[in-house]
Amino acid sequence: MPTSSDESVRIGDAEFPKPFVNGLEFNAPVHGTWNIVHIGFRIPEAHQIYICADNCLRGVVMTAAEMGELGRFSSVVLEEDDMTHSGRIEETTIEGVTDCLRKLSKIPPVVIVFPVCVHRFMGCDIGYIYKELEKRFPDVIFIRGFMDPVMQKRGTTPDQRLRKAMSDIIPKLPVKEDTVAFAGSDMPASENDFKKILEFNAKTVKDTAACRTLEEYLSIGESSLFICQYPAGLMAAKAITQRLDRKYIYCPLSFDFDTVEEEIRQSGLSVPDGFFEDGKEACIAEMKKLKDLIKDTPVAIDYTAVPKPLSLARFLKDNGINVRTVYLDAVDGSEKADFEYLQKNFPELILHSTMHVSDRRPVRSNEKVLAAGQKAAWFEGTGYFVNIIEGGGLYGFSGICEFIRLMEDAFNNGKDMRDIVPRKGLGCRSCI
Amino acid sequence: MRKTYRILPVYTGDVSGAASALYEFGGMTVIHDPSGCNSTYNTHDETRWFDKESLIYISGLNDIDAITGNDDKFINDICSAAERMKPRFIALANSPLPYLNGTDFKGICRVLEEKTGLPCFYVNTNAMHDYSKGQSEAFLSFAKKMLRGPERKVKNGVNIIGMTPLDLTSTEIHLSGGYELVSNWGLNTSYENAVRATEAELNIAVSSSGIAACKYMQEEYGIPYVKGLPWDGRPCDYTETVREKTKNYIVGEPVISGSVAAYIKTKYGIDYNVIAATEITDGLLSGCDRKCHGEEELEEALKDAENIIADPMVRLISPANADFIELPHFALSGRLYLKRIPNLMKPDLYYPGI
Repeated sequence: MPTSSDESVRIGDAEFPKPFVNGLEFNAPVHGTWNIVHIGFRIPEAHQIYICADNCLRGVVMTAAEMGELGRFSSVVLEEDDMTHSGRIEETTIEGVTDCLRKLSKIPPVVIVFPVCVHRFMGCDIGYIYKELEKRFPDVIFIRGFMDPVMQKRGTTPDQRLRKAMSDIIPKLPVKEDTVAFAGSDMPASENDFKKILEFNAKTVKDTAACRTLEEYLSIGESSLFICQYPAGLMAAKAITQRLDRKYIYCPLSFDFDTVEEEIRQSGLSVPDGFFEDGKEACIAEMKKLKDLIKDTPVAIDYTAVPKPLSLARFLKDNGINVRTVYLDAVDGSEKADFEYLQKNFPELILHSTMHVSDRRPVRSNEKVLAAGQKAAWFEGTGYFVNIIEGGGLYGFSGICEFIRLMEDAFNNGKDMRDIVPRKGLGCRSCI
Repeated sequence: MRKTYRILPVYTGDVSGAASALYEFGGMTVIHDPSGCNSTYNTHDETRWFDKESLIYISGLNDIDAITGNDDKFINDICSAAERMKPRFIALANSPLPYLNGTDFKGICRVLEEKTGLPCFYVNTNAMHDYSKGQSEAFLSFAKKMLRGPERKVKNGVNIIGMTPLDLTSTEIHLSGGYELVSNWGLNTSYENAVRATEAELNIAVSSSGIAACKYMQEEYGIPYVKGLPWDGRPCDYTETVREKTKNYIVGEPVISGSVAAYIKTKYGIDYNVIAATEITDGLLSGCDRKCHGEEELEEALKDAENIIADPMVRLISPANADFIELPHFALSGRLYLKRIPNLMKPDLYYPGI
């Protein structure tokens, strides 16, 4: 089957894992997802320094400004002379970072340094830069960030690598068997079966997304088990557990009951009697309520709402919900079974790219559409949407129930989409 | 160190400036960049993205294509998009990596013209300059490529050149004294409106970004120009107002700041000196004004200030004892003070006088 050059394709005709041809890219004015600035600020007391050209700098510095966090952010501007003089880019980076730190009223304990694509293409000696900075500021922990989107199409993304770099500073502490950490997500665990089960097992729970102090963040190194529920955090979870010789579980929000049960059982944690049966019954009851409420209202889903959008689409379709469109640009390998299932059983389901040139002129109907995710809301032009990113810290049967409740609420209570979706970093402070 | 910023953001960059200038001209602007430029632009540097369509895209450059100089993909993707979206013209903007590897944009434009039959031009950006340079290059390139001699002239017809939301968010243009607006570059306008520019008898450069295009139209089509905001709807040149050295400063883009300074001097007899914080300043500053590049220089220049008119963010580096009048500038503080940006053409709204 050919990959589609159009902005949308029936799933029955779609190619896995890339349904769409790569081309020029459109960017929808929807910015609830987190970028590397939001992620970096998850480490309490950390200061971020970016070394890049004006235009590249603008996006990250304004992210910090809109968060009201300019006090924890500094910049070094690269100019043409940094590209044309041998060794100048290293010098500008080292002296620039040094100058930024010396201008602060207090040297921060943790500094995340972000070189950019240009550093890579200039063959910049990054190792030398950190060696020199660590010599000048021996009390500072330097985190090796990178803002190099040129690398992301064929390898790991800057945010994946940042999460790993942020986890690299967590020290190996004596293990506490009763301590478990959620790690790698931006959203703290919320309605989440693992939280309940950990409580049942009398575990102390830590969360990299919810630390209030640097000390608390570093103390995650005493955890015996790491739970990762966001795909972009998996690389970090694997790296830290290998380094600390600990175990990890990877379980992004899935809407498949068997997957949830299997993942929880594999954790080895004790589960209350009737946990699975009760959880499934609750989901089925909640889903019936949703169906009764929304009837045949068209539903659209996007990939920023949940880590497994096709799992969600399959779950909703199987329960009679009129899912019409899933907005995504590629299908994650972990969703192959869901892709094939939908292809076979619901071939009319539409996959719609979010970057295609034609998306500049989205075709919107006047009918009421219920959306899951900000991008789906923008493309459909609807204020009836679940305002959520990255699964919102949900997991398991309680997470599925909560997601359905959010859909019910979204259907009943329209939102000001125009005001909400351009705001950056859902869950972060927004000063606009 | 001149290149470091402790607390201020940088001004909008040149790539965003180019996109902003051409936004309403009906073309397709393609930024040859991996990612990020378009998101930065439509998030922080563009007020129209939600409501007004414009074909602005990035190429999505990856490392291998950058290293090997694979221009074919870039060209083919543009051709496909052009066929689909039917733009009036194609404009290409550069970014750091194509700049570093010396991508031949002018050559690519020639190939694109052959393949698509559309006018195609290069806007000389590299992401290392501020928006005023990007806008200036875009307006000039558009003028060179798209303008033709007029079939008729409009008596007392004027063009407004250099108007984008980065400097002026209000779309109100009020002309009086018999002047008629022919073309606006480039707010609340269109392709058809933009290419009428040569019918005008006078150009008004309302920002430094408009100067180069005005000079070009003067040389090529004999259209004279003035610099400055048209107070009371009448073209006037702010540089003709004599101002004295003082410790009152207006910080920002030089034509707008100079215009406001001239207005205050004319109406209230109070001197303000311009501290131009954006890049294009040639011929735009008087002897009492100065140019500052970056936060450190600006902070130093403001040390003796008694009165300051500037974007609210400049307060962060201003002396605590200076009186401060806030004049939000979208190209600096972005969306933070967007709702408080006044109509610059109505100075009594933001300068309370005496």
